[in-house]
Amino acid sequence: MEKLVELRGIVKRFPGVVANDRVDFELRRGEVHALLGENGAGKTTLMNILYGLYKPDEGEIYVRGRRVELKSPKDAISLGIGMVHQNFRLVESHTVLENIILGLGEDKLRIDFEKHRRRIMELAERYGWRIDPMARIWQLSAGEKQQVELLKILYRGAEILILDEPTSVLTVQETRRLFEALRRMAREGKGIIFITHKLNEVMEVSDRVTVMRKGRVVITKETRETTKAELANYMIGRPIVFGQKKVSAKLGSIVLKVIDLKVLGDRGYPAINGVSLEVRRGEILGIAGVSGNGQVELAEAIAGLRRPLAGRILLNGVDVTGMDAGKMIELGVAYIPPEGNKLGIVPGFRVVDNLFLKAYRYPPYSNNLLLNWGKMLEKAQELIEEFGIVTPSALSRTSSLSGGNIQRLILARELSGIVGGIPRLIVAAYPTKGLDIGATEFVHDLLLRYKEMGSGIIFISEDLEELLLLSDRIAVISGGRIRGVLAREEADAEKIGLLMSEAVIQAG
Amino acid sequence: MPPKIETRFGRIRVERRVGYGRLYSISMTLLSLALAFLVVALILTSLGLDPIKAFQVIFGVFTKPSLLLESIKQSIPICLAALGLSIAFKMNFWNIGAEGQIYMGMIASTGIVLLHEYYGFFYEWMIMPLMFLTSFLLGGAWCLIPGALKARLGVNEILPTLMLNYVAILIVDFLVHGPWRDPKGYGFPLSIPFPEYAKLNIVLGDPAYTGLLLSILGAAAAFFLLEYTRPGFEIKVVGQSPAVARYAGIHVRSTILLGSFLAGGLAGIGGLSIVSGIIGRLRPGASPGYGYTAIIVAALAGLNPWVIVAVSIFFGGLITAGGALQMSMGIPKAAAQMIQAVIFLMILVGEFIKRYKVTIERPRVGEE
Amino acid sequence: MIEWIESVLGLTIQVGTVYLLASLGEIYAERSGVLNLGLEGIMVMGAALSFIFTLAYGHLAAILISVIAGILMSLILAVMAVYMRLNQTVTGLALTMLGLGLSGFLASPEVRKVILLALNPSLPESLLAIQEAPKLPEIHVPLLSGLPIIGCFFRQNVLVYVSYIAAPLMWFILFKTRPGLSLRSVGENPAAADAMGINVFRVRCLATMISGGFAGLAGAYLFLGFQPFWQEGLTAGKGFIALSLVILSTWNPLRAILGAYLFGGVEVIQYRLQLFGLGALSPYLLAMLPYLAAIAALVAVSIESVRKRIGVPASLGIPYSREE
Repeated sequence: MEKLVELRGIVKRFPGVVANDRVDFELRRGEVHALLGENGAGKTTLMNILYGLYKPDEGEIYVRGRRVELKSPKDAISLGIGMVHQNFRLVESHTVLENIILGLGEDKLRIDFEKHRRRIMELAERYGWRIDPMARIWQLSAGEKQQVELLKILYRGAEILILDEPTSVLTVQETRRLFEALRRMAREGKGIIFITHKLNEVMEVSDRVTVMRKGRVVITKETRETTKAELANYMIGRPIVFGQKKVSAKLGSIVLKVIDLKVLGDRGYPAINGVSLEVRRGEILGIAGVSGNGQVELAEAIAGLRRPLAGRILLNGVDVTGMDAGKMIELGVAYIPPEGNKLGIVPGFRVVDNLFLKAYRYPPYSNNLLLNWGKMLEKAQELIEEFGIVTPSALSRTSSLSGGNIQRLILARELSGIVGGIPRLIVAAYPTKGLDIGATEFVHDLLLRYKEMGSGIIFISEDLEELLLLSDRIAVISGGRIRGVLAREEADAEKIGLLMSEAVIQAG
Repeated sequence: MPPKIETRFGRIRVERRVGYGRLYSISMTLLSLALAFLVVALILTSLGLDPIKAFQVIFGVFTKPSLLLESIKQSIPICLAALGLSIAFKMNFWNIGAEGQIYMGMIASTGIVLLHEYYGFFYEWMIMPLMFLTSFLLGGAWCLIPGALKARLGVNEILPTLMLNYVAILIVDFLVHGPWRDPKGYGFPLSIPFPEYAKLNIVLGDPAYTGLLLSILGAAAAFFLLEYTRPGFEIKVVGQSPAVARYAGIHVRSTILLGSFLAGGLAGIGGLSIVSGIIGRLRPGASPGYGYTAIIVAALAGLNPWVIVAVSIFFGGLITAGGALQMSMGIPKAAAQMIQAVIFLMILVGEFIKRYKVTIERPRVGEE
Repeated sequence: MIEWIESVLGLTIQVGTVYLLASLGEIYAERSGVLNLGLEGIMVMGAALSFIFTLAYGHLAAILISVIAGILMSLILAVMAVYMRLNQTVTGLALTMLGLGLSGFLASPEVRKVILLALNPSLPESLLAIQEAPKLPEIHVPLLSGLPIIGCFFRQNVLVYVSYIAAPLMWFILFKTRPGLSLRSVGENPAAADAMGINVFRVRCLATMISGGFAGLAGAYLFLGFQPFWQEGLTAGKGFIALSLVILSTWNPLRAILGAYLFGGVEVIQYRLQLFGLGALSPYLLAMLPYLAAIAALVAVSIESVRKRIGVPASLGIPYSREE
């Protein structure tokens, strides 16, 4: 079996961290090789090195048996290596064709649109894809966009394909179609590297799997010779316990009632198309679904950051539809935004500034026009201790904090009540994304504590295990609609998966 | 991956420096300054002018007391406008229109004086305070126009603020060539000279000292606003990220309107200091680009109000030096502007060198 | 009547060509993601240099020097904004101030004398002190220039003809060729272009240099082709107005033709109204028209582009770095 790619002893350092620590990796012709690991394990860095985006500090790269040095993606492309990134590198306003032929040296000056159009359609057909080369990228679904990304590299005769978390934006059907296409490519003799942190997929589509942890390769195994549990063990270093943190809480009155809500997304289409739900005091309502199905728009509408097109939102019986964020904050709605360290804080500000980002306008932290820094610094110190935020002082620059600590800061800000008491409703959108085990557990425990204290919680996550762990009920969202709501006792991965693939359960 | 440039000498790699001390920062700034002067010296020499004599004149501006006072006087409008800019820039509002707002301030002040002199409005003691008030209001309103365009329509403020500069200058041209022309001015486009009660000489009867007091008060006000008040906090958040501001419950639109108004208002008072302190009347071209210099000053001072006062005096000195160079060495006045720009560019380069480390990688033997 | 239309049209083309030349280059720069606020400074340098070099050597040399100077000046912006990733607005303004100051300096009587003598020691004394230069001659295209009304398009100077060819050519390159696609992609999504092996920095640098070259050409045209009389404030914000034009034309060279002549028309109206001596309307108030028109244009486009999904090049003004 020919070795398409061999990486030997790769070392890559960034300020403060060793992303790849003497990594060995190989890819055989005709195989789908999964690269498994948690966030931050070093998988993407390794592949970026193979694609010529990064230069390794030490180590060697061999392609088809010959030693190579990759100075830029151009070199990688010329060697037949192609990479599809997690966030698509597509020009939204251009056509499919323009995106595919970008950077191609073929046409001397004038673009032969007709020739390319034909070739693209032929190629797409080969893998069972229906794509209009003249369609504009912004008109396509996530699955179709990924097909364009794949066509981009296949059009250049790529034999070595690197896919970075390809299924994170796909529905179940689209994932199936992707896997079929990948297997077809493997049969043609191409080699595919598949970066993921989802154990199911590894078992389903890969021939071999390499597990990475903290920058090192833990093990490489034939997929049929291992199990999910074993891989999970390798990935984390300790066995995962799948269960539920049972916290019995008396469910109280209805805190939030959403009636037939319609919300527009950024592109002008309805991202939320008729959603109704309710949350009681002391209840955690989990929202499951592939991200991009309207979860964030729903959360923003409830938090007052997005004006609903139609429908009503009732908070404790009071109609708050269309009220702005400031009002919702006052009414006791806490919102933990997705990607907190990018959207939930001001990185250039000090810790105390970010802690009081919402509370600064309330007494005693300000009176009329003037800010009372003394009181704020005092309280900041309390919060730092209470929420375990690791920082030299309340005056340090927030950008110097780690991701987990920034999330703690956001939680401290939203939940500590500096805005005026325990929040009535907490809307948490992917609060543990990108966090390590310790930080994730902290977030879970915190939310459970507030559940006990009587807050109603909406918990949006992509991680089924997490949802099953924490939620009292789980609502499944897909295509801007709630497909079904399951109580914890009756919910499992299969049922949720079915609901996500848009089959509606009649019982409602 | 930092950018790499291939050259004959090897690969030039640029990476972000992790941290640098204050001393390093200051010494790099001084080095940039020295480099700027070197470039200027080269230009002068290539034209047959004596650079050493030129620098003597320039430094003399800061050492001779009479010239120093003149430099301070010239620095006032720059300083006030730059203080306004520090607020605008902190809000990520690129106010290139300080020049026009200065002109509007001049119009307001002159208008008040004329209302009194021609029509007998107001009492004498009211004039000065009214001048301050109206300069602030009119300058603020002038900046509010692009501010409103940005807040309500999302129009990028760079071009509107710029265009309004030309409009404001033309308004002044229109007024002093027309209705506001001094009947006793021999036909020149000038307003009447400002009477004593309208002159900026409260402190020691000298506009330089009074103006300096004004600068310091202005810096204190700007500092206080940004550090200790709610609107100041909101301005800073909006400047960092309007999305995060909205999430925090801040009304982004109102904040932009307020910030732009304050910025224009301060520039307007800068205009007052020109007609009331420096020239003593209104005429075309009353501001030789103070508003643009203010942008350089604000940028170089890192938007710090106190540093702005100091840097303004430096640039005020350059303007004074420009005049001195013309008188003593026949160097055209445009030289001052050119020197300003060279200094600016060099310091920008210095800023870059401070933050990034440039290393040259030579290909190791045997590697290819 | 026809003569009146022809003279207005002819004048509109003459005035509008300044805007056209400047905006053609800037469209390329902004399409790649770079805002060149130095346009005004480069233009005035082009004018000043064309003044000096026409006296010393003649028209051809003057035009070439202006273009080269424009390219070099914009190279400064390119290095600072693209490679050093300094703020484009601030660097552009600094470049404009440099251009304004340097041009005033070089074209001032004292310095000009020195330079002229250095370039061409055999220049007669009269030329050293003169404030104007010979204008670019009109070239009449045979046959076409005799046609009624349309004929005035073909009774212009050589640089106007250059603009006639440049606009559609640049449109073609931008939308129908490989380098044009690369340029547009860099401006819309530099990360995507980078991943496809395109050197983002080089593309932006070249695009900036193109805008500088055209700005220098526009400055040379403004002086030599239109009003070859040197004075302070010659450009009076025309470079900045060109920036508004770029936006109004939605970064499309063909639409830029319309926009340029539109603005040219506004200026011509201003001149005509002055001639008719509309007593109450001072020439100064009329002179505001182009600037107010520019603002109006910006407002109009802003309302539109909210609806148009294809509008501003997405990465305009944002420096690119691979790390994030």
